[in-house]
Amino acid sequence: MSLNWRVLRGILGAVVMVAAMAMMIGIEIAEAQRRQRSAQPGPARDGAGSPAAPVEQIQRTQPPQPVPAAAVPRETVQADVSSRSVAVTSSFTGTEIVVFGAVDHSRQPTAEAGLYDIVIVLEGTPTRLVARRKSNVAGIWINTHSITFESVPSYYTILSTRPLDEVTNPLVLRENDIGFDYVRMTPIQGWETGVTTADLQEFAEAVVRLKQRDGLFVQEEYGVVFIGRSLFRASVNLPANVPVGPLDVRVYLFRDGNILSTYTARVRLEREGLELLLHNFAFNRPLLYGLFTVTIAVGAGLAASAAFRRNAR
Amino acid sequence: MNFYLPIAEMSVNVVVFLGMGGAVGFLSGMFGVGGGFLMTPLLIFSGIPAAVAVGTEAAQIVASSVSGAIAQWRRNNVDVKMGTVLLAGGVVGSVLGVEMVKLLRQIGQFDFFVSLAYVTFLGIIGALMLMESANTIRKTRQGKPASVRRPGQHIWVHKMPLKMRFHRSKLYISAIPPFAIGGFVGFLGAIMGVGGGFIMVPAMIYLLRVPTNVVVGTSLFQIVFVTGLTTILHATQNKTVDVVLAMLLMVGGVIGAQFGAVAGQKLKGEQLRFLLAGLVLLVCVRIAWSMVAAPADEYSISDVVGGRR
Repeated sequence: MSLNWRVLRGILGAVVMVAAMAMMIGIEIAEAQRRQRSAQPGPARDGAGSPAAPVEQIQRTQPPQPVPAAAVPRETVQADVSSRSVAVTSSFTGTEIVVFGAVDHSRQPTAEAGLYDIVIVLEGTPTRLVARRKSNVAGIWINTHSITFESVPSYYTILSTRPLDEVTNPLVLRENDIGFDYVRMTPIQGWETGVTTADLQEFAEAVVRLKQRDGLFVQEEYGVVFIGRSLFRASVNLPANVPVGPLDVRVYLFRDGNILSTYTARVRLEREGLELLLHNFAFNRPLLYGLFTVTIAVGAGLAASAAFRRNAR
Repeated sequence: MNFYLPIAEMSVNVVVFLGMGGAVGFLSGMFGVGGGFLMTPLLIFSGIPAAVAVGTEAAQIVASSVSGAIAQWRRNNVDVKMGTVLLAGGVVGSVLGVEMVKLLRQIGQFDFFVSLAYVTFLGIIGALMLMESANTIRKTRQGKPASVRRPGQHIWVHKMPLKMRFHRSKLYISAIPPFAIGGFVGFLGAIMGVGGGFIMVPAMIYLLRVPTNVVVGTSLFQIVFVTGLTTILHATQNKTVDVVLAMLLMVGGVIGAQFGAVAGQKLKGEQLRFLLAGLVLLVCVRIAWSMVAAPADEYSISDVVGGRR
């Protein structure tokens, strides 16, 4: 009788665990297959999401256009990203994306001429964020001051051909939200504790510093290079902790400190596969998700006790 | 090998977390404790957000307590009536505890309160255990028989109304003290990410005078259900239960516990308690240090939780 119960319990626990694992593995495999399929370039794929299409588009503009004698055309910039959508799966450990583009009607004789400057800004979704400051209260460090910012970009990277202060003046940078000093950060009035507006600057600097420490705010002063008289490229390493959501890519073409042209593109960071499933499960069906977790826990406990046949105290 | 945790939203090394589960499982198997008080701080030190560590650890405690509870049940070491009263209190405590976590996260004081609770309770329990076990060890060295504290006669907890008869424990006491103990442990468990056995067992022995042979079984019975409920409540109220992390810890934990139990059989009870007390105090000091030492950065940033700051 007791042996039967033990066997039954073991089988029950094992079945629960195996079922849960099989479900997860199944999803992983299905996802991997799907990814493999979508990775194969095919003519049937629609142009919007495929990485092949933008390349062609760029290539068309690449050969130097014959300059009409009558009017000298204004330079414009066109750009795109190497992958327009990045899948955040359970094996996501960060990824590299390449931003590339070309200056139309480029007048610089060589890549090294330095006639133009390119500034690329990658900006994540603005999110609410609370910044707190600890102070020593009776020997213990405790959060005492806080400011809530209405919207701070979840991710912010600036790449340029040379340091921003050499590219242009602060006025232009401020106008276009380029640079850590000009990231839009609006505090929510009435949501602060123990803080006066005088501290605001310090808090804003702390946010930038902490975001930089987490690798979510990045600046590379020589991150963009011209590889031809009109073609340029820059590579961005998105860290594993990059917040999911769209990234807006803004490309600015500068000459003599003035913006000649801008171009925008977008990278989508989306959860996929098991990652998406579990995240949606946890947030859309929290009660079921909780029950599911407890069931797995009970199953693991039963399976373990049966497997090791140990009578725990 | 890395895995991206869906709720903690970070990429972690699977081997490291399996190893952590295994190491804590070994110690918990050796000492016969749940191990939540070791695991939760360890998770927090390794960068898991405190709230996720607490919510996820509740799930792992369910796994590690289930087998023990069943073994005790089969040996008839569970006082179901006492357990049910403790459980009723635990449910109330757990609901309040999870709400408290929500509130503390909103005002940005959760990490502080977790640390404070740990330092307080680990400090008290560790010091008491250290003294008791050191005394026992000294007495046995001197050749005197270790005196077991006899359950005394009537103390204040026996003078309260709502008396109930607990047959298995051979007690006729008020239902209020066990309900209160269950509630207190459920509350702390929800905040600290522990089962609470380290508080419930001494409380049952010294306050309620429950016979020692049913104490462990009855407390495990309560812990399974209360941490199960706590897991569900953390999942619904705070969305801080990471099932992937929980599974890593469970797998490491149940395997480690088997080896720990074998190691534990080679040591005497008072030696085990002495070592456990040392471990408890070590964790206590480590957390206390993180509260008093000047932080590397006085500033911190986090997402806004809930409607208000």
